[in-house]
Amino acid sequence: MEEQDSETQSSGSGGEEETLKLEPEGLRHDVEDQHVLQFLDSLDGYITLMDSLSLTLRQGWLELASARHSMGASRVNSALLNLKFHSASTSLQVTRNDVDSEANEANFTLCKWASSNSGHSSAGEKFREDKLQTKHDSPDLRHRSKSQFSDETSVQSGASLVADDHVQRERSKSLSVFGTLVSPKLRAAQLSFETALEMLVEIANTRSTMLSAFNRVKKGLEDIKS
Amino acid sequence: MANRAEIPTSNSALIAMIADEDTVVGFLLAGVGNVDLRRKTNYLIVDSKTTVKQIEDAFKEFTSRDDIAIVLISQYVANMIRFLVDSYNKPVPAILEVPSKDHPYDPGRDSVLSRVKYLFSAESVASGRR
Repeated sequence: MEEQDSETQSSGSGGEEETLKLEPEGLRHDVEDQHVLQFLDSLDGYITLMDSLSLTLRQGWLELASARHSMGASRVNSALLNLKFHSASTSLQVTRNDVDSEANEANFTLCKWASSNSGHSSAGEKFREDKLQTKHDSPDLRHRSKSQFSDETSVQSGASLVADDHVQRERSKSLSVFGTLVSPKLRAAQLSFETALEMLVEIANTRSTMLSAFNRVKKGLEDIKS
Repeated sequence: MANRAEIPTSNSALIAMIADEDTVVGFLLAGVGNVDLRRKTNYLIVDSKTTVKQIEDAFKEFTSRDDIAIVLISQYVANMIRFLVDSYNKPVPAILEVPSKDHPYDPGRDSVLSRVKYLFSAESVASGRR
């Protein structure tokens, strides 16, 4: 009886060890499934975004062709491009996305219509900061007095107007390469290409996620083979 | 990971372009154009007179610059230097193949999708199951 009990105990303890061994295995499979899902999601996102980009670019090209038709081919061509020293009004912020120790993902953020003058604080970025500040303050606004509320909203709306003016000035500066008076189609083309730029940044981020997930899945497959 | 390249972080990185005239002009309208003191631009307009060597040189230059985060290249131009584009594997600058007016986007030729379709091949799945 005691021997049976001891055997039962030993088999019980062996079963616990097997359970403990299985748990990390099960966790590993869950993590691998998660990587595969992330890879497939980002792949789907990448292909969908490329389709949307194609549509947006097609619209932009059509608008550009319409502008060329109305303004004349000599007024809308690459020979007029500004080759004097100037920095880009629209740039990117690149940061590293440390998801885990193995991931090496780059994260891209678009900064549209920041000042093209170096050394000045960019109103484009300022516009984003004001927007963030508005979001941060909005829950507290309810607890303040009416006069403070009206002061703050007027300051915020003033700041956003300043930012809007700056963005419009930068857009006009970009268009002025093709003359003072430009066709509305050229302005429409500018907006279409701005939208395309936003999509491209999203595509770049999706690409980064996809490649990172792909490397993790590939490593998982290699571990299984070994 | 053995071949993990470092990601250079930056607050004001540029978008470079190797594409046809309309695509470049369109994106320049969106404000991405940059000309440095040496009059070097962050774009190359590809037309019928542009040689493959010029495209290769521009690609190598843009992918080696620290101030460029994304390189846009028309897919039909990338096909001319396919070996160079496919052998590039750094995370930054990111190479994005875009369609052009006369050449729609072909997912089968995209270098990123070509790299990952290895996972969908029968060999890789079968070898994983052994």
